[in-house]
Amino acid sequence: MLLTELLRMRVVEVDGTEVGRVVDARFRIDAQGGARLVGLIVSPHTRAPFLGYERAALDEPLVLDRFLRWLHRGSFLVDWPDVRRLDDDGLHLREGYERRPSTLP
Amino acid sequence: MIPRPHPEPGRLVDAEFQVLDRQVLDRNGEPVVTVDDVEITDIPRGVELDPDADAPVIENLLSGSAVLGTRLFGGRPPESRWQRIRWSHVTEIGTAVELNTTADRLDASWTERWVRNHLIGRIPGGRHAPD
Amino acid sequence: MKRLFAVALGILTAIGGFVDIGDLVTNAVVGSRFGLGLAWVTVLGVVGICLYANMSGRVAAVSGRATFEIIRERLGARAGMANLAASFLINLMTMTAEIGGVALVFQLVTGIDPLLWVPLAAFGVWIVVWRAKFSALENATGLLGLSLIVFAVAVFLLQPDWGHLGMQLIPRIPESESGSTYWYYAIALFGAAMTPYEVFFFSSGGIEEGWTVKDLGQTRANVLVGFPLGGILSIAIAACATLVLLPQAIDVTSLSQVVLPVVQAGGTIAFGFVVVGIAAATFGAALETTLSSGYTLAQYFGWSWGKFRRPARAARFHLIMLIGLVIAVLVLLTGVDPIAVTEFSVVFSAIALPLTYIPILIVANDRQYMGRHVNGKLVNALGLVFLVVIVAASVAAIPLMIITGAGQ
Repeated sequence: MLLTELLRMRVVEVDGTEVGRVVDARFRIDAQGGARLVGLIVSPHTRAPFLGYERAALDEPLVLDRFLRWLHRGSFLVDWPDVRRLDDDGLHLREGYERRPSTLP
Repeated sequence: MIPRPHPEPGRLVDAEFQVLDRQVLDRNGEPVVTVDDVEITDIPRGVELDPDADAPVIENLLSGSAVLGTRLFGGRPPESRWQRIRWSHVTEIGTAVELNTTADRLDASWTERWVRNHLIGRIPGGRHAPD
Repeated sequence: MKRLFAVALGILTAIGGFVDIGDLVTNAVVGSRFGLGLAWVTVLGVVGICLYANMSGRVAAVSGRATFEIIRERLGARAGMANLAASFLINLMTMTAEIGGVALVFQLVTGIDPLLWVPLAAFGVWIVVWRAKFSALENATGLLGLSLIVFAVAVFLLQPDWGHLGMQLIPRIPESESGSTYWYYAIALFGAAMTPYEVFFFSSGGIEEGWTVKDLGQTRANVLVGFPLGGILSIAIAACATLVLLPQAIDVTSLSQVVLPVVQAGGTIAFGFVVVGIAAATFGAALETTLSSGYTLAQYFGWSWGKFRRPARAARFHLIMLIGLVIAVLVLLTGVDPIAVTEFSVVFSAIALPLTYIPILIVANDRQYMGRHVNGKLVNALGLVFLVVIVAASVAAIPLMIITGAGQ
């Protein structure tokens, strides 16, 4: 499937509460050089891109940094095993899934 | 410097930010395409996912007018028109995505070769360095 | 001489922004109608373009990524495409105007119908783009374009009342003009100074020249020599018009009126300089916009580009420029006024300016790209101020254009 089919998808909890949209997909490079999905980054308030401000390597100009972090306030990483089902209406999370910090080092 | 065979193991890559819309360079630093989309392992829809199963991987970088067209105007490109570059060709993900092969050996650059062979290469001086 | 060649890229880039055929006429129009009351806009524009051209050059030198690559990367496919469409149209319109401009200069000298010169001028541009080394084209046009300094010399030869001329520098709207025409021209001058193809050309030119981290000093020197020089030429043209055309209430409608004050001041020799200067500047601007059209498109789609490669190794890049030149010739052969063509580029600048300068500002702060060469606090503060000005000017441009009938 296409990465862009995953992006912008609605993310819902078991009880049907929408918690945000997928804004990025995080992969880890394995020993053979393959890129395996670690989890998805979910942003509660916006579908807009981070423009790079999700990383520690970019925090200036301060106004833009603050604005984008505010837009994406509450965004989190959800591990792939915490995703229960993929439906046409969105991604369904498992009961008791964990919200992990999304900042990329 | 000996080029790495593949990106550094253990590294985290955010695909939307660090792969999508990045310039792809071949082993000689020649531009090939921009990443128009990324193909990952199919995730079955509407079924319970097994938490212990292998997570999806990036299979190919995609390009081509059909893929880009749907990014711009919506819809889903027919799979027959996905121009693929295998992920195993990728050696580095930095300000550009670097490959271990040359542009001429990839399907993704067929338009470049077509224009070269049929048009630009036929104009006098087209195959010589400027003087 | 070697030092001058080292900053040729900056000079050529600035010529395309400040004294291309459209700007030559706009500057003279402004001088003949507003005196030097809009010179402050040019100064503002010089500061803005210095700031952002230096950022784009620094990003190119440190990361190897030219400006349109970072636009696509940071803004994504859609917003990148909006910028590409707008920027490409600006390029094409300016390219058309410049080729027409070269033809007008030849008409000025030979008296032969400019339409006959159009295909020849376009062929000249193509052959240079096709065969000449990048360094040769920037050195020749940059250096010959310097003949436009004759406008500054003419200001002195005209022996003005300096006190009176100095008083004119105070921003004010003349009684004969309305507020909206004043601001329309203010935005036109600011937009010309910051026209996006300058950063496309400058950053790509840096890569053509093989700039690396070691060349950051040269990047800065190019910026600090080139753009202020462009600004001075631009103000000198306005000053000449202020001194000669304004008192006689001469309306600037063509190139001959732009040249008139210089001829009055310096006779045949000055005329020679001004003709060479305008020919080189318009030809240089034609090269700049032709190459920029290739750079922007190739960088958005990820194609191979650059004059440092054989044309066959950057085939689509060369094809695009060839098609652009053919379109320019066809447009000109309809008999349209080449200078009028550039007026509409203001509209597209409204889209292209913010979408060009925002990603540059962001990436110039990204340590993954820049390492320790990220922007300083002062540069960021100024960059943000200019971003606000750019957005304000962009928003105001289209309504003002409609209200004033493009400055009538």
